[in-house]
Amino acid sequence: MALLELKNVSKIYGELKALDNVNIKVEKGEWVAIMGPSGSGKSTMMNIIGCMDKPSLGEVLLDGVDISKEPQKRLTDIRRDKIGLIFQQFHMVTYLTAVENIMVSQYYHSMPDEEEALQALERVGLRERARHLPSQLSGGEQQRVCVARALINHPELILADEPTGNLDETNENIVLDLFSQLHNEGTTLIVVTHDPEVAEAAQRTIVLEHGRVAREVINENFGKNR
Amino acid sequence: MITASLLRRRSRMLIALLSIGIGATILSGLVTIAYDVPRQMGAQFRSYGANMILLPAGDTVLTEGTLEKALEVIPEENIAGASPYRYVRLDMPSRQQSFTAAGTDFSQVVKTSPYFSVEGDYPSNPREILIGKEIADTIGAKIGSSIQLSYKGSASDDGNGAADWTAGAHLMGSAEGFNEAVLTVELTLDEDARIASIDVDASSQTEEIGALVGTDREYLDQFIGQTLPVSADALSGATISSQAVVNAVNSARSGENAQALELTGIYNVTGILSTGGEEEAYIFMSLTDLSKLTGEEAPDGSGSVLDVAELSVFADVNELEAYSEDIKRENPEINPRLVKRVAHSEASVLGKLQALVILVTVVVLLLTMICVSTTMMAVVSERRREIGLRKALGASDRSIRTEFLGEGLFLGGLGGLMGVALGFGFAQFVSVHVFGSAIRFQPLLLPVTVVVSMLIAAVSCQLPIKRAVAIDPAIVLKGE
Ligand SMILES: Nc1ncnc2c1ncn2[C@@H]1O[C@H](COP(=O)(O)OP(=O)(O)OP(=O)(O)O)[C@@H](O)[C@H]1O
Ligand SMILES: [Mg+2]
Repeated sequence: MALLELKNVSKIYGELKALDNVNIKVEKGEWVAIMGPSGSGKSTMMNIIGCMDKPSLGEVLLDGVDISKEPQKRLTDIRRDKIGLIFQQFHMVTYLTAVENIMVSQYYHSMPDEEEALQALERVGLRERARHLPSQLSGGEQQRVCVARALINHPELILADEPTGNLDETNENIVLDLFSQLHNEGTTLIVVTHDPEVAEAAQRTIVLEHGRVAREVINENFGKNR
Repeated sequence: MITASLLRRRSRMLIALLSIGIGATILSGLVTIAYDVPRQMGAQFRSYGANMILLPAGDTVLTEGTLEKALEVIPEENIAGASPYRYVRLDMPSRQQSFTAAGTDFSQVVKTSPYFSVEGDYPSNPREILIGKEIADTIGAKIGSSIQLSYKGSASDDGNGAADWTAGAHLMGSAEGFNEAVLTVELTLDEDARIASIDVDASSQTEEIGALVGTDREYLDQFIGQTLPVSADALSGATISSQAVVNAVNSARSGENAQALELTGIYNVTGILSTGGEEEAYIFMSLTDLSKLTGEEAPDGSGSVLDVAELSVFADVNELEAYSEDIKRENPEINPRLVKRVAHSEASVLGKLQALVILVTVVVLLLTMICVSTTMMAVVSERRREIGLRKALGASDRSIRTEFLGEGLFLGGLGGLMGVALGFGFAQFVSVHVFGSAIRFQPLLLPVTVVVSMLIAAVSCQLPIKRAVAIDPAIVLKGE
């Protein structure tokens, strides 16, 4: 069974169909890239998958559960237990240190565990920056903290909306390497991007246009470069 | 984590903390004052004088003893003072005028009539008197003047001297001589009620003077053949004690008690009283001095006879009425009355003051709530993105609610503690500067203020929390 399946999903804002009858399947452990021009509905789709929004029509099956029918409270639980989120603007709690930001995620999931949080920082190469506030970190470092935060609760699915959009080449590569590691560990990744290079790092690219799936491209070279 | 998060966001939180702190300060301060005001004002009001008077009921006699018994009804700490009064007409032979004298207890008068303005001092020794300004002006007396006062008794008095001045009577009299020593005379009257013989016992005088008066037969013989009362002008060869002898002769009456009576005495003016009222026409002396002069004693031996007692009691009208009922029930011979004018104006002033304090407290509480609510609202909108993020990371509505409520309660508690300390200072300041007396710390106020501040904070947080919970993580995370 696929980890995620969108069946005839539409999201309609008045006249506008942000998503128009989308059908997508993502297998467990897969690394999928989503591309498409601005306004094509990428973020709308990610919000729906991330249980932060509901489709107007259609079904969204996550681990066999139709999340389009679940009540709000359950959606929060599902998101907390199964999904790790990474955003283009990083989004850290500005008055908490790097390690505390990670512990926030632990706190809502189960119990804050500083040691584990520090290990996660170690993994993204920022152990020595653990006590720094976001304002004392570079954009790349902040995004790495956010990756550490996304993986801290061992989610089945990581959703990243333009994770490298604000990063330079070097940091982009660091983040992609981290994704690659996560992929190798069996984590399912869905990454929205404008950057063909980022898309090429994935196994498969789904292209959206005007809220529809325009095409899907299998990356023949997957795993060759990394 | 709450404290860490609060610490790093100090400026905002400081405003919230400050507004709660100030609210709690004013709250606890005003409550302290409101609680203390009756006590404070009670003490103030007591300076307006007595608020209860005790009179004899019907034909009964009010005495020092019955007054003492009546006072047992009122808790001792609530009695500011209780002044006994006995009014008697006394003559001033030197001016052939009579005045009203009030026998009282000066240690109590100071308390029941704090508005009495005395030039000089209250009498503190026997044979000292306080005279009203009107009298002082009339007779030209000053502080330090000596005044002779004598008591004739009322017309119906069996001890009336004139009634005893009958033919063939054997009379005894006494008066104060030199140096406050008592001088007694023994007279016999002939069939025409003229003095037939006179003997003076001046043994208590200093030796020379006593010898002079007692043995100066030439002087004493001038009394023989005179009718009572004797006028000093008719006598010559006067010695220092001659006026005393005349006084003693004129006080002479029959009966066994004649010797115990001091129907006349010389008194030292220690102070002049100004009140702007009728008291200025009175002479005030101690009850002891007065009863020595009049010989009045309650028949049952319970001290001096009184006309009225003025009480100054720390109590509101209702308590006063209760005390009055109790006194009446326990002492049927006493008729207690409230000085309505004083008692009621006290009650109405207190009521208004407390209403004002309550009103101000409510307004302050409302303002605090508005201020805290506004601050928290600003905090929520400032932290919109963060709240959205927390929700995206899996925070349930409940945990968002708990987090804000926790912050609110923490601030409320801290502000409350601040308020207790500052509020006590505030109340103390107001009390000292407005009422001129210090207040006691009410330990109960500590938990009450803290709990109330926490409650206010909790209530103020409700709307901001609602806003926070309503934040949609998707919308917040979407844009810049
Ligand atoms: N809450 C909303 N109300 C109305 N219209 C919306 C809403 N959210 C998104 N849209 C519209 O839906 C369309 C899809 O938006 P979406 O954010 O999914 O685009 P996108 O593919 O993520 O674009 P970008 O690459 O610029 O991020 C857009 O036309 C947008 O204006
Ligand atoms: Mg987008």
